[in-house]
Amino acid sequence: MPRDLREPDTPSNTVSYFVREAFRRIWVTKRTSFVAVAMIAMSLFILGGFVLVADNMERAVERWQGKSHVNVFLDIEAAPDQIRAVDGFLASHPDLHTRHFVTRAQALERFKTYFVNLSQVVDQLDENPFPASFEVEVTPRIIQSPGFPAEMKALRSMSGVEQVQFDWEWLNRLRRLIDIVNAVGLTAGGILAVAAAFTIANVIRLTMLTYREEIEIMRLVGATERIIRGPFLIEGILQGAIGGFVAVGLLFGTFVLAQRLLAPSNSLLWSFLFIGFLPWQKIAALIAGGMLAGWIGSWLSVRERVTEEA
Amino acid sequence: MIHFYHVTKKFDLYSTALQDVTFHVEKGEFVFLTGASGAGKSTLLKLILRQIRPTEGQIVVNGRNLNAMKRNHLPFFRREIGMVFQDFKLIERMTVFENLSFILTVLNVAPREHKKKAYQVLRAVNLHHKLNAYPPQLSGGEQQRVAIARALINDPLVLIADEPTGNLDPDLAQEIMQIFGDAHLRGSTVLLATHDRDLIQVSGRRTLVLDQGRLIEEKPAVVERPARTDGVFGLS
Ligand SMILES: Nc1ncnc2c1ncn2[C@@H]1O[C@H](COP(=O)(O)OP(=O)(O)OP(=O)(O)O)[C@@H](O)[C@H]1O
Ligand SMILES: [Mg+2]
Repeated sequence: MPRDLREPDTPSNTVSYFVREAFRRIWVTKRTSFVAVAMIAMSLFILGGFVLVADNMERAVERWQGKSHVNVFLDIEAAPDQIRAVDGFLASHPDLHTRHFVTRAQALERFKTYFVNLSQVVDQLDENPFPASFEVEVTPRIIQSPGFPAEMKALRSMSGVEQVQFDWEWLNRLRRLIDIVNAVGLTAGGILAVAAAFTIANVIRLTMLTYREEIEIMRLVGATERIIRGPFLIEGILQGAIGGFVAVGLLFGTFVLAQRLLAPSNSLLWSFLFIGFLPWQKIAALIAGGMLAGWIGSWLSVRERVTEEA
Repeated sequence: MIHFYHVTKKFDLYSTALQDVTFHVEKGEFVFLTGASGAGKSTLLKLILRQIRPTEGQIVVNGRNLNAMKRNHLPFFRREIGMVFQDFKLIERMTVFENLSFILTVLNVAPREHKKKAYQVLRAVNLHHKLNAYPPQLSGGEQQRVAIARALINDPLVLIADEPTGNLDPDLAQEIMQIFGDAHLRGSTVLLATHDRDLIQVSGRRTLVLDQGRLIEEKPAVVERPARTDGVFGLS
């Protein structure tokens, strides 16, 4: 009496077999596996590099400037009554009412805490280079209101006012730059990841060819395609994961090195790009990306049947 | 259990490996298949496993029409059949134990039982000391016994063997025949291809004779068939 031919495979039985086999095959084909892993690592390294830079730019921006502020920088030599006049001007305008006075000493302190790397440079200066300022909190709605430019113009023309800075202008520009950096990184990394996936596909295809006879035997004794292909898929995912870990390791090494080499004395510009390493979510995403590329690669090659029945 | 209806197999236009073969092997039978080299024995056995497909005719195994079977049903069908291949078909990259363990994985046997089952079946073929050898490190006869062990390991419904004693000395061949006899008693239907006339003679079992692709003779069993009817041994 025929039994149901579609009994499910119990996973617990096969998963350990998959993993054991995948490790073994990577070991057997170490040289080709190495190429695949290197490809994945390289593409993730480049992608991660861009993301790291963009991340730090963003962090720098967020630390140094608040979200939506108008900064009214005063002359270094502004007299107290000039300052009072400016304060009065702000107080009389409902839009600019919420304000906060930052003394020169506070500005210096703030800079030092934000840019620890640079604090020594600042200490070497004879004089505090930072002006006092009013930080005025504004909402985007106010900024876009028609009367706003006139208010800014009036503010700018007051005596004792050195500069009125709308951070959102250069902030927006910087944000756009960050977006570009991110996009370039994603594109370059993405293209490379696709290339890496194809490399993995070819590596796995090669492995499957060397295993062709064995695969045929497996079919003859009743192995499902799932059991036959499982180890190849795991192999790809594993190669991707290893590539991801290598990339993160390299990235961290490069980061630490760059932090040392581009110390404050060397470059003001560069050091603020190295405030911190990637958050764990992005590290995890990089490794997951490697695994995904590996999985897609092996899936591509495993999809095609290597042998056909007579 | 195994039914051939006018089966013809041609590999190319000019040669016919099997020509209009019709026969039936019932559940619980033990049947020999014999004939000269090139007569078509292996071809017939490959058809049963659906390793190849017939050019014409119908084949029904375990109640399933092989011509109509869907591809994704094939693995599950093959799991019911234990096959000893003429060329063994062992996985060379795996040790003897791993070869057996792989089959048990395919058959969904829990991993903790693999050692025990593999040891038992290897003991039966007298190879339990070669558990960790790789097939190329074994003699022809030893490889053949691993292949037999693999076919036997989970008491298949149908046991098919292609020249399973071809590389064995007479004493060992006798022992192996005993093992097939035991599997038969446990309920497996057995079809065994061989050109060893003595082996067939001694057993006195039913025999199909092929000659150049044609089924020319069916010798009935000369002694009473054991386990011919279901229930006598209650294990089928
Ligand atoms: N894949 C194939 N392609 C072409 N011809 C084949 C193929 N397989 C078998 N044949 C032919 O079919 C015929 C039967 O072969 P088969 O292997 O079934 O013989 P056999 O009875 O098993 O012989 P032996 O006792 O030597 O194993 C032979 O003439 C052989 O040449
Ligand atoms: Mg043969």
